[in-house]
Formats: sequence, structure tokens, C-alpha cells
Amino acid sequence: MAAVHHPDHGHGHEHEHHGPPSGIMRWLTTTNHKDIGTLYLWFSFMMFLTGGVMALTIRSELFQPGLQIVEPEFFNQLTTLHGLVMVFGAIMPAFVGFANWQIPMMIGAPDMAFARMNNWSFWLLPPAALLLISSFFVPGGAAAGGWTLYPPLSTQMGMGMDMTIFAVHILGASSIMGSINIVTTILNMRAPGMTMMKMPLFVWTWLITAYLLLAVMPVLAGAVTMLLTDRQFGTNFFNAAGGGDPIMFQHIFWFFGHPEVYIMILPAFGIVSQIIPTFARKPLFGYSSMVYATASIAILSFIVWAHHMFTVGMPVTAQLFFMYATMLIAVPTGVKVFNWTATMWRGSMTFEAPMLFAIGFIFLFTIGGFSGIVLAVVPVDIQLQETYYVIAHFHYVLVSGSLFALFGGAYYWMPKWTGNMYDETLAKTHFWLSMVFFNLTFFVQHFLGLAGMPRRVPDYALQFADFNMISSIGAFGFGFSQLLFLYVALKCVRGGKKATDQVWEDAEGLEWTLPSTAPYHSFETPPLVK
Amino acid sequence: MKEEANKAVKATPIQVAKAVFWAFFGVRKNSDHAADVELLTLKQVVIGGVIGAALFVGSLLMLVKFMTS
Amino acid sequence: MNAVQPNLAMLKKLLIVAMVMFAFGYAMIPFYKKICEVAGLNNLLQPDTIVEETQQVDTSRLLTVELDANTRGLPWQFKPLQSTVQMHPGELVEVMYEIKNDSGREVTGQAIPSYAPLLVSQYIKKLECFCFTKQVLKPYETRQMPVQFLIESGFPDDISTVSISYTFFELSSDATSSNDVRTKSKI
Repeated sequence: MAAVHHPDHGHGHEHEHHGPPSGIMRWLTTTNHKDIGTLYLWFSFMMFLTGGVMALTIRSELFQPGLQIVEPEFFNQLTTLHGLVMVFGAIMPAFVGFANWQIPMMIGAPDMAFARMNNWSFWLLPPAALLLISSFFVPGGAAAGGWTLYPPLSTQMGMGMDMTIFAVHILGASSIMGSINIVTTILNMRAPGMTMMKMPLFVWTWLITAYLLLAVMPVLAGAVTMLLTDRQFGTNFFNAAGGGDPIMFQHIFWFFGHPEVYIMILPAFGIVSQIIPTFARKPLFGYSSMVYATASIAILSFIVWAHHMFTVGMPVTAQLFFMYATMLIAVPTGVKVFNWTATMWRGSMTFEAPMLFAIGFIFLFTIGGFSGIVLAVVPVDIQLQETYYVIAHFHYVLVSGSLFALFGGAYYWMPKWTGNMYDETLAKTHFWLSMVFFNLTFFVQHFLGLAGMPRRVPDYALQFADFNMISSIGAFGFGFSQLLFLYVALKCVRGGKKATDQVWEDAEGLEWTLPSTAPYHSFETPPLVK
Repeated sequence: MKEEANKAVKATPIQVAKAVFWAFFGVRKNSDHAADVELLTLKQVVIGGVIGAALFVGSLLMLVKFMTS
Repeated sequence: MNAVQPNLAMLKKLLIVAMVMFAFGYAMIPFYKKICEVAGLNNLLQPDTIVEETQQVDTSRLLTVELDANTRGLPWQFKPLQSTVQMHPGELVEVMYEIKNDSGREVTGQAIPSYAPLLVSQYIKKLECFCFTKQVLKPYETRQMPVQFLIESGFPDDISTVSISYTFFELSSDATSSNDVRTKSKI
């Protein structure tokens, strides 16, 4: 990024007369991208803790064979809601929160393109979350057919399922509005001189992610609408008795679902691509390769969906097609991993918490990527389908992938957001605890899967007992380590060593030219990017 | 993207094909990429990308045919 | 404020993209059915064509076919007239099923087949089946219906017992499913 002219240094103070209203109304009525970003981040962290409590309940039940703590029906509700809450309530809104905070600052825009729509897309989330959580308390309980909502289970359940469908509708609408906002902001509101190819990689990955969201969230909305009309209005999309086909739901769902997993990882790639150059003190290696690889991953994500359903019955030609296409995605993904490694090569690296999380991300995400390639092989997948191997795989890409990148990004930009440095020692402790306990939880699940333990079961055969106990201990360690993050974040908000404007030595990008705490309105006079 | 559209010189189909191919692989030299940004229009990239994706699917299908025959 | 107009134009474009993709979700259904039809997948409810060579009867092997019948949510009695049948691979056999309407109203039902083990579905060929059309039964009507099928002689010889199961589901009077329409046009 080139040097930046900043004609109006003191502008943070001139606008205090039209600052935000105080109290709760500030948050309800805010159209400020930073306020909304903060709301998104706190909301997603609360949902993260909610989903985490569900996960710990699941792991407590699985601590020993036999049924001890919860009924199997409730266990199924927990696995379903844990998935939905983490995917739609924690990971996705967290990335949107980062987009809200960072994109206008990084491209030199005053705010998001549609500020009021931005407010709306956030405030749709709490009602949706409320619907999801309160569905535990209705007769029949929450949805219990897995987060993928496969019929025929999802066409048979009680009203908890309807509430889930409605919640997914609302969350989808929120995501679509959010992505329209992001695309418009990035394409139309860049500062003069900020050409597409000068945009920070985080902005690039979010642009591509937003297009993916626009393309697939409506498909999910369509799929759950069909479920709803099947349940309530007598249509027969998925009802075999009426000429429908439950397998068709899986095709439509995974046409959404596979791009969805990239929606949850591409912004993480973006965050890591911001962190690594800063702490390696070198420009990102292969910037244009990174952009092209992201685009390539996005396009390929549309032609691999059926690798989630190798066992439902499909001709061998289709199986081979989806297997080859899936394995080829490893190429652009590998390009990215090598580019990050090459960025660190001979850099003068320091290992502050964001960098630790970024390196942890590369290391563990690569493991998750490799187990993904293993699962892409049809005969292997047929063996491992619906086992803990799959669970281990997607937690390696979602927890140590997306979530680690989110923590890294949070530590990276927190001084800019709050004006204070966070407690480095505690943050590093948070990383090492997360790292150790994460692997303790999920690495052993590979072995469980290979040994044949099925997923979504509250009880299991005796030979799985040892690994399950290790995994449960790890899960509790990981869960409680995250409270440390909450403490560090709160401490940082309340005070601490003042952060400089640039925060990190050699950090480049427009956001570091703003004062820390970032002023309420970022760039009212657009900066000039050379 | 508007800046690019104003350019009088347009890229040849070969240049588009090259850019799309490298994009699918995910690697691009910075200098070549700078040339892409100069020459390619959004329309060319989208059309090139769709044709590229179709060719990719087609070649995979042919490979699959070959493997199963 | 800089340039609101291009933003609104972009908003419109992107909204259209979202709506087109919503419609695309629905368009996948006829598309999917077409692909299944073209590829010959999932044709549980259509008669099969039998290739000459598979007609060769392998008299050295004897298969036991268990016949099963269920109803789901409609007031019918439904049973096969014999519970098992012995057959050679490649031999064409006919079995009879009986349905009886126990209620005083006209009921329309559709039978959905299912096979165990799953592998059988590749080898079983049905020439005639009551599941190819929907069945309309007048109050208290009884009907006997045939199934004509063979199991191809290439059937793996480590399996000696297979099950064929039918389940009748009620079709509401206005539900003319697309499958039904398709089946009729074929016959």
C-alpha cells in the first residue's frame, strides 16, 4: 500500500456536536459502521458462548459410554442447534462484524454504502437467535435432524422445526442485505487512487465472499421454504409419497452448503493475509496469486456439492466427477498456504498474539484441508461418511480455521478499535491454551472416526471410551480458555497502555493512518492513495 | 472497474484465456497481472470465466468417461 | 455525501441477483427430475425395459424373495397373497397383492417400493407394478394387483434372500404429483 496523504488530521474532534445519542438508543438506532461492527462482534461472541455451552453438554454426555446426563432426543436437539448457532450465529456474523469495522477504514470510505440497511441487517439477528434458542422450550423441543435439516426428519418434526426454518429465513435475509452493502461499499466507495488491485486482501476476500453469499443464501431460503410448504401447505417437494424426493433436498442444500463453507473460510484467509505481512515485516508474497486463488476457490465451490452425498446413491461417473473436482480445489488452496509460508520466509518475524493465531491457523487449517482431501476420495468417504472423522475434519477447518483467524484478527485490530493495547501475556496464554486443548479435543476424533464411531450418537461402544474421554477433557479446556478472551477483550475496552496510531511496527494500510481509537467517522474527506 | 472500461485498447481472446487459466490455477505473475488489469474489461473476465468453467467441467467429464469406459 | 445514485443502481442489480438465485433454487427441481429421467436414475415408478441377455435363467441358483406390505396414514388393508416366493435369477415371476378400503370414502393411494439389500435395486427389473400408477379405491372396495419382475442373473451369488417392500401413502385428492403425470405419459 502506498503512502497516504492525510489533509485533515484533526477531524475527529470537529464532529462531536453530531455524535451518537447516548444509552441504549445509540445502539438501537445506530447507522455507524463501527457501532454496527461492534454489535455484530458482541452478538457473535454471545452466540459463540451459547453454542459452546451446547457443545460442552454434548461432550459431557460423551465423556463416558452410556446415557448419563441428557436424553437422546435432547442430545439430537443439541447437536442440531450447536451446528446452526455456530454457523449462522457465531462465525458468519463475526466476519460481518469485521467487514463492518474494517472495510470502510481499509478502502478510505466514510461509512458503509447503505447505513440504515446496515442497522436493519444487524437487528434482524437477535430475533432470529431468540427463535432458535426458544425452540428448545416448545412442545417437541428444538429441531433435531442435524443442522443440514434433511427430510424426511425435517418434514416430520414439531413446531421447533418451523421456528428453525423461520430463523434461517431471517438470518438469510440479514446476510443478503449485509452482502449487498459490502459489495456496493467496495465497488463504489473506494478512496481516489484505491484501485481494485491496491485493495487489502481482506477486502478482496470479503468482496468475493459477498458475491458467494448473494448467490447461495437465496438458494437456502428456497430450500427451507420448500420444507415449510411441505410441512404446512401440503406441497410435495420432498415427500416421497406425493412424488417428491428427499434426496433432492440434499442436492439443493449442498448447492448452498458447499459455497457456504467457503463463505466461512475466505474472510479468514483475508484476515490471515493481513496479519502475516505485518509481523513478518515483508509485503504479502504473491498478492495477485492470492486474489486469483480466492476467485478460483469461489468458482470451484459451485461444482463440488455432491461430495457431501457420495453415499446417497449416484452413478459412478458422477462420483468420479465430484471427486476429481473436489481434489482440484486443493490446488488454489495450496497456492495460498505456500504464499503465506513464502511471506514468512526470511522475514523478521515477531510472535505477538495475532501472529500466533495466524500461524496456528495455517498449521491446523492445512491439517483440516488434508483430511478434506482424504474425505474427497469416494471409497474412503463411503467408509468414513457420518463418522467422527468428518467431525474432526470440519472442526479443523472451522474452529482452528475460521475461529482462530477471527481471534487473530480481533487481537490485531483491537488496539485500533479501543485505543488501548490488550494484555499481550494473557492473549498469548489464550492462544496456547486454545491450541493445546483444541488438538486434544479434535485430533483424537480422527481416530474415533477411523475406528468407526458414528456422529450424532449420545452413546457408543466401549472401545471408543478412552478417546472420547480425552476429547471431552479437551473440550472443557478449550471452552473455558475462551472466557480468557472475554476477559482480555473487556480489559482492553476499559483501559490499558495507549496504542499508537500505527499500533504495529510496519503495519501498512489505510486503517493505521487513523488515530487509535478510530474516530466515529473515519474518512469524511477521502484520503489520497498513491 | 470503471477505470478499466474506459481504456480504448481491449484484450485479445488469447489474453483473456491466459488470465482465466492462471486464475483457475490460482497463480499469476505480478507483471502479467498488472497487464490484465490494464486490458481486460469486466465483461471479458465474466464471459471468459464462464467459458473456462464450462471447459473445466467438460474436461473433467471426459476424464471420467475415459476412466469408466 | 458522495454519489448515492450509483449505489442505488448497484442495490437494484444485486437484489435482482438474489431474486434470480431464489428462483434458481426452485428451478433445480424440474432440472433434477429431468436429469434423473435422462440418466435413468430413480425410476422406481416406471416399467423397466429388459435386455435380451438378462433373460437367461440361471437354474443353478434359487433366490428367496420376501414380500412385504405396509400402509401409512390411510385406512387400507394391504398384503401380498403369498409372503415369500422362490425364484431363479433371470426368471420372470408374477406375485399378487391385495388392497382393501376399510373406510366409507374414496381414497387415492400411491405405493412406493423399497428393496433390501440395497444392491438389489440395480438388478431388479419390473415389467408391471401397481406402483406405476396411483390407485383409487371406492368405499370398501377390494382389489388384487400384480407385480411382474425378474432379478437379473448377474446378481451376486453371496445373497440368497432379498426383500421387496411396498408402502402405500395417501394422496390428497388434488395432489397430482409430477411423478404421476410423468408415469402416465410414459405408459
